Amino acid sequence: MIHLTIDGQAVQAREGQSLLHTALDAGIYIPHLCDHPDLEAKGGCRLCSVTVNGGETPVPACMTLAEEGMTVEIRSEAAEAVRRTSMELMLATHPAECTGCPKFGKCELQSLYQYMGVNGQDWRQKSRPVPTDEKNPLITHLFTRCIRCGRCIRACQDKRGVKVLEYVRDAGGVHAGIPGGKRLAEAGCRFCGACIEVCPTGSIVDAVGLMEKYPSYADNVVPCRAECPAHIDIPAYIRAVREGRPGDAHAIIREKVPFPLVLGHICNHLCETGCKRTSLNDPLGIRNLKRFAVEHDAGQAWKDKGFHKPRTGKRVAVIGSGPCGLTAAYYLNKLGHDVTVLEKRPQLGGPMTSGIPAYRLPLEGVMAEIQWILDSGVKAETNREVTSAAALRKEYDAVLVAVGVSKGRKLPLPGAEFQQVYTAMDVLADSRAGADLSYLGKTVCVIGGGSVGYDAARSLVRQGMTVHLACLEQADRILADKEDQEEGAQEGIHLLPGRSFEAIEGTPDRVTGLRVHTVLSSTYDRATGKVTEVAEEGSQTVIPCDSVIFATGQHTGLSSYESFGIELNGRGYPAVEGFNTSVDGIFAAGDAITGISFVIKAIQQGREVASVIDRYLGGDGEIDETLAERSAEPRIGRVEGFAALPRVEQELRDVKQRLSGGADVYRTYSCKEAECESGRCLQCDLRLQLQRVKLWNEYGGDNG
Amino acid sequence: MKKMQADVIVVAAGLSGLAAACAAGEGGAKVLAFEKGSTTGGAANMAMGPLGVGSRIQRASMVAITPGEAFRKHMFFTHYQVDARLVRDYYFKSGDTIDWLEDMGVEFVGVQRAFSAPEATRPYSDGEFTWHVVKPEGGGIPGPRAATAMVKKMTEYAKAQGVEFQLETPVKKLIQEDGAVVGVLAVDAQGEEIEARAPSVIIATGGFGDNPEMIREYTGYEFGKTIHNFAVPGMKGDGMKMAWEAGAAKTPVIMELMYQLPDNMNHFYIEGAFRQPCLWVNRNGQRFMPEDQIGNTTFTGNALSAQPGKIGFAIFDAKLLKRYKKKGPDIVSHVHPHDLYDHFEEQWERDLAAGYEPICQADTIEELAEKAGIDPEGLKAQVEEYNEMCEAGYDEIFEKDRHYMEPIAKAPFYCCRQTVGAYGSLGGIKINHKMEVLDEEAHVIPGLYAVGTDACSIYGDTYPFTLPGNTMGFCINSGRIAGENAAAKVSEF
Repeated sequence: MIHLTIDGQAVQAREGQSLLHTALDAGIYIPHLCDHPDLEAKGGCRLCSVTVNGGETPVPACMTLAEEGMTVEIRSEAAEAVRRTSMELMLATHPAECTGCPKFGKCELQSLYQYMGVNGQDWRQKSRPVPTDEKNPLITHLFTRCIRCGRCIRACQDKRGVKVLEYVRDAGGVHAGIPGGKRLAEAGCRFCGACIEVCPTGSIVDAVGLMEKYPSYADNVVPCRAECPAHIDIPAYIRAVREGRPGDAHAIIREKVPFPLVLGHICNHLCETGCKRTSLNDPLGIRNLKRFAVEHDAGQAWKDKGFHKPRTGKRVAVIGSGPCGLTAAYYLNKLGHDVTVLEKRPQLGGPMTSGIPAYRLPLEGVMAEIQWILDSGVKAETNREVTSAAALRKEYDAVLVAVGVSKGRKLPLPGAEFQQVYTAMDVLADSRAGADLSYLGKTVCVIGGGSVGYDAARSLVRQGMTVHLACLEQADRILADKEDQEEGAQEGIHLLPGRSFEAIEGTPDRVTGLRVHTVLSSTYDRATGKVTEVAEEGSQTVIPCDSVIFATGQHTGLSSYESFGIELNGRGYPAVEGFNTSVDGIFAAGDAITGISFVIKAIQQGREVASVIDRYLGGDGEIDETLAERSAEPRIGRVEGFAALPRVEQELRDVKQRLSGGADVYRTYSCKEAECESGRCLQCDLRLQLQRVKLWNEYGGDNG
Repeated sequence: MKKMQADVIVVAAGLSGLAAACAAGEGGAKVLAFEKGSTTGGAANMAMGPLGVGSRIQRASMVAITPGEAFRKHMFFTHYQVDARLVRDYYFKSGDTIDWLEDMGVEFVGVQRAFSAPEATRPYSDGEFTWHVVKPEGGGIPGPRAATAMVKKMTEYAKAQGVEFQLETPVKKLIQEDGAVVGVLAVDAQGEEIEARAPSVIIATGGFGDNPEMIREYTGYEFGKTIHNFAVPGMKGDGMKMAWEAGAAKTPVIMELMYQLPDNMNHFYIEGAFRQPCLWVNRNGQRFMPEDQIGNTTFTGNALSAQPGKIGFAIFDAKLLKRYKKKGPDIVSHVHPHDLYDHFEEQWERDLAAGYEPICQADTIEELAEKAGIDPEGLKAQVEEYNEMCEAGYDEIFEKDRHYMEPIAKAPFYCCRQTVGAYGSLGGIKINHKMEVLDEEAHVIPGLYAVGTDACSIYGDTYPFTLPGNTMGFCINSGRIAGENAAAKVSEF
């Protein structure tokens, strides 16, 4: 340690530490602007001028190393004079009015002139207008406000190695910019945002609207992670894939979800809607990379990591073994509680094993992920239907109702009670169990164009049946995602959009057809649940079929308060406040309280309710864990044509192959494809590695 | 959720909030101040100084205006349409507040007016010496941003009084129990919620200058179209919405008008160069005000707002440009660059080439009118009449100062469209002279104060540019009064 005094205060410095950082570390503020804790010092701005050992010539504190016995004066007359002049010169060319500046109130320059009380009127002012450039994706340039500190250039050149930003000279003078007036994309920018992060003024900022969606700064910077309901550390695992570490990638995903492979197949990937690369071309194939990582994790190193808290002796029953119930069970067991999962069906997994078809989600993968939960100590009883949660509560310290929405709902059409009229839930369960589906006949009509309707229709096409899929929505408003629609059409589903349903034709034991008419438009009032439609005159027709399958909504199937023992709301869902039901110690979560949703949402509900139940049982509710160390190389280097790199899609198997067996519709990425796709990531999270410069008002003592 | 407790909570640490925090802290209260930004001072960081009447500085400078005189001038200016008791308490506090700031260590260069009227109109249109301009640290000429030196001193003083600042932590909602406001919900930079409770909450969020929807709804202007106001980031009308939600009565809101070019920062030489008493016309080609009055930027904003399309046009010719270049501008602005005409042509050429919409140049008046979108016949007739009057040396229409009567005769002709600008919004939350928030029945909402521009409805329809420093003056004095009252409530308990 080196001992010295700064403004009369004894401080210590490390070998090779600058005077500036010695002072700042000791809580002594020295104004500084071109210095940034993550960038090499250049000594350009002179705001950190100090005098040393009674000398008269000020030196920049950022470029002067601490020496044993030094005495440093920050506010000596000579140092103050240099600092002042330097600030006045900066302000003389900076716009005189800050009011339209997006950085107002969070600007380092503003804080500095506030601290120094300098306003820059003593010099002839020279405005150096540079047109505002809002044409680049994600990043807006307002170089009129540039003070030539060079932080963005050092960040781009040295820290990132991308080398897009440089000093440029034009009619207005010198400022940071892109040589040759190129667009960022053509200059090879990787849109990492380091320049935005280090800019002390409003010269380089996030494009309008990018930083306003979430309350937290980090979430706005890394929207994929914010959008994911479980907040999986997406940039970190994409990085691990790119660096050839699929095991680490799998571990990172596992930190938040116990069903990585399931999600790699069927997640609705809200993360991709947040992906900032969408502003350049297409979002990253995040879901596909997830699947790749899990399938290529040979070592399974994550299994030896993570927390296991001491056993508490507390017993928890979980009703339902869908993604919510099993996730909650998994974490509650890790938290030290004895957990028993009670499942009414013969197999565990809820919709993962009895709803979602095998062509989307191969069974072995699901079973392996469930098996790990059982191996970790969760007990499970199948074929166990719980009729009263209240009765169960007497045997257990806590009960979780995670029954999902497994009962299909039929529309109240004449004939809906006929034997040959089914719900998609029943048919999908049978299909998944490998049961003989010939009872449906040769031609079926599926009512409902959501993902469940498509699941049923596509499953039955694979059985060789003729399938009509009819829905109220017009063709451009169909609820199922685009892939389902396109692939379903290739597989031979006969789509009948814009149809309203009148009746099922036939007799109680034999369906002959579905009577429909065409609607020109329809509106659905969410509040009342009422549909208003404009029908096409004379469009009534009967679609001949042997059975009708409703894919028109689901419910919990819970019975009344008297029998199940907790209060239900008007729609048959447990009445909850947070996750608490009307009975102490009975909790509800997942689709059973949110209504039908996606697997990732149910998993997040499982995580949250596990914390709540743990706290109820006397624990701290802490379930965060690190299963793989993070390392991120800040120097990402240059990649020519980076902005235009096209999204790599998984290969879609041809229709014949798809229809001939239960095989997965998509082939997983090859190693090469995964490398290419992961290489498209902007690595928005790298920005958060960069430190924020502390302003004068955040230092204690005389300075603030 | 994090929990906090205090005697007084200040919502936003701009000038009003800082004043409230200083005063409440001084009165012995434990103060928590929440601020969206990472710096304190808000819009005051761009300003030069507050109004004060009856300060030590004024008396030492032989400025005779008294608080009573300022009060009466203000009430005549507003036709007694505003709360006289509130106005009275403000002016009578304002001189002492300047002294208070000086005692805090704030230095002023002296007291100024914001513009001076031409001789002929001085008795009723001149500015008063009420504007206390802050002295930059270590001396020097004050300009925009000069008031940051005051912000720094106030921030340090507040900290010395034990005020705790929560930076980058915006307040989202007031907590109300049995009608009384008892605290706030805020969110910090990490996204964590904070529940803070205190018997007094002071709203000081600075209006809605950065909220185009509210500007349209409450003032009728279209941001970026019919008005180009300062949009200080973060001024979204949060405080007003919170107060209204808690039952506060609404007052009319005005924009603090002036005039400004779109994207003016990137066209600053152009903007400055045309702020001269040359020929000003409206879309029909007709003059609409004596151009020697354009130094009163607020009145000029009003005049523009009254024209068709809420626009006007400033026009000069080659000869006038030559004169400005040689002798400097007729009206000096303390905001625009000093080298206005040295760089005028450079920027003019560049902006013309880039198609900057408000400007055009032509060799004939007809062509100029065509390009600018002015009625050519109207403009031609007006220029003829104007030039005749210039020749005669007398403006028989508006009696503009003869010194400025220069004909528009020598090509090329230069034209710049003038649009309405504004600082921010003024008013919104109904308060009494103690800065307590009132409901529709004029009953006090217990525990809630509002100060600064969120509550500044003492100007009627127009900002009193003649009593300069008024926005900051009201901010700082309303803040101080609220802080004192909130602190007094603590000691009563």
